Amino acid sequence: MRDRGSILVPAVLLVLWHLAFLLAGFLAPYDPAEQQRELPYIAPSHLQFRGPKGFHLRPYACGASTVVDGPAPCYPVHFFVHGCTYSFAGMPWSVHLFGVPSPGRIAILGTDAYGRDVWSRLLFGGRISLAAGLLATLVSLVLAMLIGTISGFYGKWTDELLMGGAELFLVVPWLYFLLVLRAMLPLHLTGAATFLLVVGVIGSLGWARPMRLVRGVVLSARERNYVLAARGFGASDTYLLRRHIAPMTAGVLLTQAALLVPQFVAAEAALSFFGLGVSEPVPSWGNMLAVLQQYSVLVSYWWMLAPAIALVITSVMYGWLAEALQRSLKSSSI
Amino acid sequence: MKSYVARRLARAVLLLFAVSVLCFLLTRLAPGSFFDEIRLNPQISPQTIAALQARYGLDEPLPLRYGRWARSVARGDFGFSIAYNTPVAQLMWAPAKHTLLLGGVAMLLCWLISIPLAVWSAAYERSWFDRGVSALTSLFISIPEIVLALALLAFAMRSHALPVGGMTSVGFDELTAWGKAVDIARHMLAPVVILVLVGTPVIVRHLRASVAEVLHAPFVEAARGCGIGGARLLFRHVLPAAANPAISLFGLSLAALLSGSLLVEVVTGWPGLGPLILDATLARDLDVVVAAAMLGAAMMIVGNFAADLLLLAADPRIRTGSPDAG
Amino acid sequence: MLRTARLCLLVQLLAIFCLAAPSPDPLQPKEEVQVCKDAGQYGGRLVVGLRAEPKTLNPVTAEDAVSREVIGGLMADLVHINRSTQQSEPALAKSWKVSADGLTYTLKLRRGIRFSDGQPFDADDVIFSWAVYTDEKIASPQRDLLILDGKPIQVTKLDPYTVRFTLTRPYAAAERLFDSLAILPRHILDKPYRNGQFLQQWSLNTPASQIVGLGPFRLKQYLPGQRVVLERNPYYWKADAPKRRLPYLDELVFVFAGNEDARLMQFEAGETDVVNRLSAQNYSLLARQSGGLQLDDLGPSTEYNFLLFNLNELNSSHVPEIERKQAWFRDLGFRQAVSAAIDRESIVRLAYGGRGTPLWGNVSPGNKLWVDASLPHPQRSVDSARQLLKSAGFSWNATGNLLDPGGQPVEFSIIVASSNSQRMEMATIIQDDLSKLGMQVNVVPLEFRALLQRVFQNYNYEATILGLGGGDADPNAEMNVWVSNGSTHLWHQGEAHPATAWEAELDRLMNRQMLTLNYKRRKRLYDQVQQIIAANLPMVFLATPDVLVAAKPGVGNFHPAVLEPTTLWNVDQLYLRRGAEMARSR
Repeated sequence: MRDRGSILVPAVLLVLWHLAFLLAGFLAPYDPAEQQRELPYIAPSHLQFRGPKGFHLRPYACGASTVVDGPAPCYPVHFFVHGCTYSFAGMPWSVHLFGVPSPGRIAILGTDAYGRDVWSRLLFGGRISLAAGLLATLVSLVLAMLIGTISGFYGKWTDELLMGGAELFLVVPWLYFLLVLRAMLPLHLTGAATFLLVVGVIGSLGWARPMRLVRGVVLSARERNYVLAARGFGASDTYLLRRHIAPMTAGVLLTQAALLVPQFVAAEAALSFFGLGVSEPVPSWGNMLAVLQQYSVLVSYWWMLAPAIALVITSVMYGWLAEALQRSLKSSSI
Repeated sequence: MKSYVARRLARAVLLLFAVSVLCFLLTRLAPGSFFDEIRLNPQISPQTIAALQARYGLDEPLPLRYGRWARSVARGDFGFSIAYNTPVAQLMWAPAKHTLLLGGVAMLLCWLISIPLAVWSAAYERSWFDRGVSALTSLFISIPEIVLALALLAFAMRSHALPVGGMTSVGFDELTAWGKAVDIARHMLAPVVILVLVGTPVIVRHLRASVAEVLHAPFVEAARGCGIGGARLLFRHVLPAAANPAISLFGLSLAALLSGSLLVEVVTGWPGLGPLILDATLARDLDVVVAAAMLGAAMMIVGNFAADLLLLAADPRIRTGSPDAG
Repeated sequence: MLRTARLCLLVQLLAIFCLAAPSPDPLQPKEEVQVCKDAGQYGGRLVVGLRAEPKTLNPVTAEDAVSREVIGGLMADLVHINRSTQQSEPALAKSWKVSADGLTYTLKLRRGIRFSDGQPFDADDVIFSWAVYTDEKIASPQRDLLILDGKPIQVTKLDPYTVRFTLTRPYAAAERLFDSLAILPRHILDKPYRNGQFLQQWSLNTPASQIVGLGPFRLKQYLPGQRVVLERNPYYWKADAPKRRLPYLDELVFVFAGNEDARLMQFEAGETDVVNRLSAQNYSLLARQSGGLQLDDLGPSTEYNFLLFNLNELNSSHVPEIERKQAWFRDLGFRQAVSAAIDRESIVRLAYGGRGTPLWGNVSPGNKLWVDASLPHPQRSVDSARQLLKSAGFSWNATGNLLDPGGQPVEFSIIVASSNSQRMEMATIIQDDLSKLGMQVNVVPLEFRALLQRVFQNYNYEATILGLGGGDADPNAEMNVWVSNGSTHLWHQGEAHPATAWEAELDRLMNRQMLTLNYKRRKRLYDQVQQIIAANLPMVFLATPDVLVAAKPGVGNFHPAVLEPTTLWNVDQLYLRRGAEMARSR
């Protein structure tokens, strides 16, 4: 019972976290692609509760304005304001949680090289990146479980063949594979095609490592006494696999899942290098992280680290959930 | 056992062959060639470029090139680098040694650090220590390797504590033997720290999970009951029982000795295979790329073999190849 | 840790004082050395960061910029282009005479000067070098420069210190061809050349004593993946104002960094003395913390970046999509509209951090001798762009999307090298600018060579952003970009005949300027070329970055120039101020 509670907390937090990205249009004050070229790399606006007439309950956002001269002006923050349109649930909406009157800008996480609002990009980018990272993890883990289990369970030549295949996957020069793939695809890829491509490529390239771990566990599991006993009673291979062996791999798979999600989100940036990732001006955590590879950006503009921090938070929560799940699996199996 | 070794050998040979064929196909199908970049130079004619391509046999059909490459492997050259105008084996020898040095030290440290961390944090589950370890591993897992490397490097540089890039200082030759060792160690520190920060969390995560699982097993309770406890219980009894995924990981990290540190080498300027292979990949110096993949495959074979043997030793239930096994 | 570090530094310090570099050989009375104006101090070791590893030390086969930079320290040429004045000046040839018809160049060589191994230099070395460079079997990347109308320029030896070059037709500023053609030592390379082994000579693994040249330095040591160490050539043929033999430096060390950022970090950490080709972002990083660094913004480079539309003749196997879009690209009104809508000021400000110059023509203001300053610089105007599109038959639908005369929405992709962050930024800015015209532009990042293959081989692209220039400032270097059958005629390659009247006119003007020997007349012809290009926009010119360099305060005679190699062109005169050496070690 206690364990169920400990699953609930990270699960609810994760649902809320994902919900925030689902509601990106509402939570983000601006269109993520909108450039404000007068405001490149503006530090996050600071909020204060002192307006022109002394103390206010309404916060004021200071630091950014499209009118350049004069000291950094402050603008009152309004809630439920109308701004750029976005679509949600198939309908166009224009209401945003907060905003400041023009020419003020509220940039709670600063702006990027084109003066685009990092907060808005983080929210919209998280939508794509989290979905892609989760799906890719799912794809690679399903592949890893299938292939690893078969390889470990049947052993001998099946094992050699599948292991050889996995090794091949691990050592082939992927960069060239990506180049060949890009050359065969049409020049421009639509958003949906890009998404599927990212999921497909990352998912199918990532299965080989977890497969090795699964196989190791299965190798050991199939010789356990109760498995041998079940076999002695005439249990079929599929029964054994389903009933006894696959559940034993759950621990490894859960741990891997928590590891792979952040890695796969970041891997999208590498795909962009070959023209296979999400491309400008659409935001993704991958292409936001790619900017951090420039030393000058990394050491000058700390707020550009926002996607990395968001990724850490995601990863901590998934790690938490994986651990809680593992614990409850264990207690239910004993 | 005999049939097991035979199967293994067959797989190794087949794998190397398959890797070489696949590499050839991929590298030749990929768009772009070594001489593309000089096409942008208006002062070099297409005829000259064609002559250069013909000199290196880039215009020949694929099977012919594969045959030539195979003969050069037989000679021990492992192909010919267009960029450096020299046999690949000669080119890769020194960097491979540097990479092995870096990778070996980093791997050793990784395991030395992660085993106690994982075991203790599993033993004191949900303690502040456990939570701290878990938060730190999450942190280092989610920051992309390259960002982590750059940030650490920037920190090292700003603090002026460490040299940036290379393996030896400019005045290396004038140093004493001790001075040389210290110099190399100083240059190694930054890449090693980065590699350890990147590698440790993965091992800790897996090992901690499996140790925690074993700690609930009846035999541990039994051992506790018999008065075995503390470190002896953890390291002598629990750890071997929990080693399974860790051993597979160990095999993978052994296989990655030559390839796992490439990115960090590029970022920190370590004179290993990393900068060489990246350069060759982008420049389409194809034989170098193929040789690197072959080297990776060879390491993989060794790593997997070692892992399987270890798995066998740690978990006697597994009889990988004996005739009576499933 | 600190103590060992100090110990290391102490040892290094000692090492600096007892560097085993050869001391300069005393000047000999018969030796015709070149005397320079500058003065400096002897001694020290200059460390320079390279962005990659050099590939070869053979000046005949080297084709990458990094190898050339190292070779530049080892070798010398007959006539040299002064990177600062951009004019040619005597080098190994102390003087040259051009015949009235411009067909023969007679060069007087310096007497009594020696290679870095002490062997004398004379006309035979020049004849030998020329034979190697023009050899078809060697296929040197520099060979094409020496071929006029399919025939190599001929050279004859008149006496041991006089050579004559004979051209088949007049060629403007032919003496510039001699720049960077390293003169090879016949006594070392003749035998391997005759045995057909020239291509294997002078790789990085060659023993240092076998690499012999006329440059200010000679090879001392190569450490794979780490550095190349050059030491003073004790027989170098230049002297300073007080008649002391150059170079001042005992050693010149090139250390290899994996990439631009690593190079910057090495400089910031004080491990290198000089850094060139900084990006604006990295330059401002240095500027923010300059502890008395010598930071130089040299103004616009000679590179020009441009947006290029695919106007190539496509064969039927191609995607019909691109062929359909070419109807727009061929329309001058369309190209002019695109040009008018692009916010070049923003490109300079955002992509180059304000350290760049917007361009409306192919010659950058960094090319002092040849830029046509009268070229118009129209203001960015979305309205006039819309006007241009309207008169070309384009229209807009209700949602503001641009439609072509056939009613199809205007949408195209720009392919960009993903490794070049500045060009990626340009593409993103242009994408946004053109969306104001209702055009849907997709930015497609591609790996560089994959991009080049599309641009040069299969023409499978719609538009791209590229950069050219940065080499010699002379118009002849750009010949193949502008003549219609040139190999770098990017927008429409392999034209059998000029496709348009203005391209025919470009052919005529470019060929005329090449035959014209008088600078003023040549300049007038080239101005016309620039005007035609700016009017017809085969490329939409965007911007050129500034040349940004930095050096430690102790580097003397540091006079960087816009042309490559920006910081090391006068490496023979660079020196380290005494006392600076001590400061570095602390």
